[in-house]
Amino acid sequence: MTPRNRRLLEFTLDNLVWLMLLVVLAAFSLTIPNYFQINIFTNIIEASSVLGVMSIGLALVIIAGHMDLSVESVAALSAMVMGIIFCSAGIGIGVHLTPDWLAVPASLALALGAGALIGAFNGYLIVKVKMNAFIVTLASYIWVRGLVLAVSGGRSAQDLAPAIRFFGIQRVIGIPLTAWIAIICYVVFSFVMARTRFGRHLIMIGGNEAATFRAGIRVSRILLIAFILAGAIAGLSGWLLAVRTSGATANLGIGLLFNAFAAVVIGGVSLKGGVGALPGVYAGVLLLSAINTAINLMGLPATSTQVIHGLLVLAAVLLDTFKQTIRQRLA
Amino acid sequence: MKRILLALFGVAALAMAMLTPAFAQSKGTVYYLVPTLLDEFQTGSITALELFLKQVGYDMKTLNADNKTDAQQSQMNDTIALKPAAIILAAVDFNALKPSIEAAMAAGIPVVEFDRQITSTPSAFTSVAGTVEIGYVAAASAEKLLTAKYGSVKGKVLQILGDPGDPYTLDIQKGFEEKLAAFPDVKIISVPAMGWAADAAGTIANDQLVANPDIDLIFSHAAHLSVAVVASLEAAGKKPGDIMLMSSNGAPVGLDLIRKGWLNVEVEQPLYAQAAAVAMFMDRIVAHQEIKAGEYDVLGLKGVVTIEAWGPNIKVPGTAIDKDNVDNPAFWGNMKAPSGTVTSVP
Repeated sequence: MTPRNRRLLEFTLDNLVWLMLLVVLAAFSLTIPNYFQINIFTNIIEASSVLGVMSIGLALVIIAGHMDLSVESVAALSAMVMGIIFCSAGIGIGVHLTPDWLAVPASLALALGAGALIGAFNGYLIVKVKMNAFIVTLASYIWVRGLVLAVSGGRSAQDLAPAIRFFGIQRVIGIPLTAWIAIICYVVFSFVMARTRFGRHLIMIGGNEAATFRAGIRVSRILLIAFILAGAIAGLSGWLLAVRTSGATANLGIGLLFNAFAAVVIGGVSLKGGVGALPGVYAGVLLLSAINTAINLMGLPATSTQVIHGLLVLAAVLLDTFKQTIRQRLA
Repeated sequence: MKRILLALFGVAALAMAMLTPAFAQSKGTVYYLVPTLLDEFQTGSITALELFLKQVGYDMKTLNADNKTDAQQSQMNDTIALKPAAIILAAVDFNALKPSIEAAMAAGIPVVEFDRQITSTPSAFTSVAGTVEIGYVAAASAEKLLTAKYGSVKGKVLQILGDPGDPYTLDIQKGFEEKLAAFPDVKIISVPAMGWAADAAGTIANDQLVANPDIDLIFSHAAHLSVAVVASLEAAGKKPGDIMLMSSNGAPVGLDLIRKGWLNVEVEQPLYAQAAAVAMFMDRIVAHQEIKAGEYDVLGLKGVVTIEAWGPNIKVPGTAIDKDNVDNPAFWGNMKAPSGTVTSVP
């Protein structure tokens, strides 16, 4: 193979998930009536906003060689806390701040703070107490969802303050602000991962934690920050979830964790740690969203949609595995 | 010191004497096995059953299955070991609980089916609104709305189901589509919201309104799904009334949406009446006495008891709530405790 062809193949493999996305979009556009239109593509981007943001936090800890199963419940808790305070119907107490726009930073601080707090708790137990990340975050997944139920009493909060709801309604270049927030998050965290010391250290820790420690890098501190970030980012996804649905229900976001895992894996992040880039994760999220939209439009019997969804995700992951095999042969 | 001790004993004895009648009034403990707490109807059912059972002399304890069939089976087994006066079961799975129901009945513990009818095995009593019937009521409302718009029953309806693994939503779908099948000019597009997630309903509405901009009516199988649908419509620049909306279960958020002009009809499950019916017959259920077929007044609604293969069955009809009757305090979604008290059927 000539060096030029090799470079081309490596570039293709590096961006295979984007290629998959294009192929899937083309296939759906050709075969599903009404799929090929700008508004459907806008919907795909919009529907990706919550899952996309949540997947960033999850990807960070997976790249660092750990795992955070609590992100879905943390998002639900942030949404519910924000809903109770800033919604005016249901269980919402409708706190009104003057001027109105103050509700935006206040609700964001609340959502991010709640998430960061749980992330710090998880991080402390994992990094300082040396407990297993899977077990700690699984426990958090359960108790935090329980907390959502406890604070809401199973009821819902509706009618989010208009200043916050603005982000779910307003569009820029046809794309809702919630989706822009997700895109900005990807740009910022992609930069952090690729161009900052923190990002490089995180990848090194995921590749070989002991070697990174011996190299004099403060592994514990970086891991703790990664868990706090994962929690805070999950809090932000909860904020977006509440904005999108104009409130919060006790079952909000159920199932997002598994989609986030699927997106991260499809996006090329290794579950063993040390490998992965965030733009690929965003492509994975868009791919899942494109599949969901296709299922929504296909008019399939309700009972068979989960099977099709699962098989399509499996196909995407198989393709990703195929990519890894080719890469190993190239190496 | 002796006097002080005597006085203390005296106070304690008096307190015990005052407590004793309260214990004596209780006719026993009834266990309520609720399928989930992530749903306002279910949390409301706990409050209503507790209130009405107290009025007829029973204490109630609740166990939540978190929508897990195996968890509810274990709860049934544990509860049977406690030998309660009765078990009220709102089954996660309509059929999987059959062996547990049979075990409880064989142990002499009456099992009452609440809200979710199980026809595969006999139980002591069943109190339902009828999920298929909710679909019928919704279909009748859809007929009216479409006729008002076009002069005849025609148009495109988007039906947002709940989780496709939940028989509750499949029954409503069955009733709704069965009635509207008589109108060939009505096209129904059915899409499930996995896990009853509100955000999924919002995405479905977004996608379908782009693919089918001529949708006339959206029928969601739960009020909280309608909230997300409204959020999506609002984001798409729609105003109340641009697209007709309906949902079912009668939750508070649905009633709020009617008041705001977004929702045309909310089909109420008569939660209070369903719970009151259980309490009315509890004495007879616990005593294993016969329950006679006929019409009974349940909080002002007409409940009809029929004797079915699976035992006595009371059905209280669901009601279509619209802007004209939305403030009726009898609707559980208005969150006003029912003023009427329940008395045992002699």
